[in-house]
Amino acid sequence: MIKENNIKFLFLSLSLLLIILIFFFPFFWIITSSFKSPEEIIATSTTIIPRSFTLEHYNKILFNSDFFIYLKNSLIVSFSSMVISIILSVSAAYGLHKLKFYGNKFVEYSLLVTYAFPGVILLVPIYLLFAKVNLLNSYFALIIVNVLFATPFAVWMLKAFFKLIPNEIEEAAYIDGASRYVVISKIIVPLAAPGIASVSIFCFIISWTEYLFASILISGDDLKTLPVGLAGIVGQYQIDWGFLLSGAVLASLPVILLFVFIGKYFVSGLTEGAVK
Amino acid sequence: MKKNNIEGWLFVSPLVIWISLIILVPIYIAFELSLFNVKIIGTSGKFVGIDNYIKLFGKSKFLNASLNSFYWIIGNAICQTFFAFTIALTINYKFPGKKIMANWIILSFIIPTVVVVVIWKLMLSSSSGVINSVLIDIGLLDEATGFFSSPNKAFISLVLINSWRWSPFLALIILSGLNSINREMYDASKVDGANFVQQFLFITFPNLKSVLFVLGLVGTLLSFNIFDIIWLITKGGPSSATTTLPLLIYETAFTKFRISQAATLSIVTSFLLLLFSIIFIKSMAPKEDD
Repeated sequence: MIKENNIKFLFLSLSLLLIILIFFFPFFWIITSSFKSPEEIIATSTTIIPRSFTLEHYNKILFNSDFFIYLKNSLIVSFSSMVISIILSVSAAYGLHKLKFYGNKFVEYSLLVTYAFPGVILLVPIYLLFAKVNLLNSYFALIIVNVLFATPFAVWMLKAFFKLIPNEIEEAAYIDGASRYVVISKIIVPLAAPGIASVSIFCFIISWTEYLFASILISGDDLKTLPVGLAGIVGQYQIDWGFLLSGAVLASLPVILLFVFIGKYFVSGLTEGAVK
Repeated sequence: MKKNNIEGWLFVSPLVIWISLIILVPIYIAFELSLFNVKIIGTSGKFVGIDNYIKLFGKSKFLNASLNSFYWIIGNAICQTFFAFTIALTINYKFPGKKIMANWIILSFIIPTVVVVVIWKLMLSSSSGVINSVLIDIGLLDEATGFFSSPNKAFISLVLINSWRWSPFLALIILSGLNSINREMYDASKVDGANFVQQFLFITFPNLKSVLFVLGLVGTLLSFNIFDIIWLITKGGPSSATTTLPLLIYETAFTKFRISQAATLSIVTSFLLLLFSIIFIKSMAPKEDD
């Protein structure tokens, strides 16, 4: 037994070290690099501990670029997409998992497939469709698409939380004369609140990170989102690394902040509920 | 449980209508376009019937992109399964800092893809990348290599970068499966003298079936759909080695301005994915227990 435990310990330490090196070190690297002098960022000899410290890149991106316009656009699009996605998916998840109906399984599997189905296949026709109905260059164009991407998985995640709520609680409420609306707003939603919080983060992240459609459906500079703005710098022939890195750190900051406050619901939502 | 047909549909219909409209209308438009030869967006073309489809199958670009997509899916499946299981099984143990790690391992998934691109472009840069200088320092490389310069290296680097983004998310879903396994089964097997490899093969793995089903289906389709990581790093190059079907569609429509050809590609691709999904669901769907 002792021998097996030793092997386990060795494996555990080794994989922990690998995970930290592969999945956490890159973040340390870009954050510290974003404070380095331009010369140090592109120096051929690299040292782990930074040798220089400067705020010039952040100064440039905050006060000398369109960062705040992109930030505003990203916030508006992501927040609206999240709210609409949550309303639609809570309703659908309730229908799918609390009320059995004809075609139930078909809808459930179709949703799972559509989660992965869209993307680039729909790019050309959606572009043409939105051009026809004058939706190009509008927040709404992006919101429509983001909701499409976020909701199928959101419904699947909510399933777990709804299944945890015993049917007896609902039935007791009906016997007391409560209506369906009261049951949903006073019982289901409060009891599934951690689940709804984690699904909200998921929807927000999906919209916050979306690049493909945002790059095609929006052409005006004043409506571009952060990923599209950043990608513009990536594509330049001579990359200004300091500028790009500080932009990357700032573009990640809002989702990271959101995650600091409600991230634990997201992770426990994914790890504790999903298949029960 | 008794059936609530009308009410059930009432609750799902807003979402179902939203999704169907945004998928079916565009697919109809794409199908119509695929029968014409429209080039630049906004112009009209003449009716050519199934000509676009016939031409498509003779094109080496289409075959090349299909093969690349196939390798892309396989490569990602292997890498992500490895990384995701390593992460999930590690986090499943008790160790100091476990909670923090479980919460933050998903960092690579919550940041924008563009940021993923920035991180790895910097780390893998041939002139000043930290990976190159570390590999040289420990003697694995004699001189800095360009990770995106040759077809094979570019393809493998992209698979690894994409796996880096997705594995932690998949790991958490696998973890949810692990959490649902009854602890007593492990204790009982220990009494019978099973080691932890046997435990993994005969308890852990079979009990993850329903999770693995969803991951197999959604994961494959999601891998297939990856566009931005490839486009922003290699633009499909060098010499089309990283041009998967999504990149080919994009290129055809928005850099070559062959809208009808791009629509044809979209239709054929949707059909292939739909076929895959139906076969996968029919053959692999786990039986409902409840």
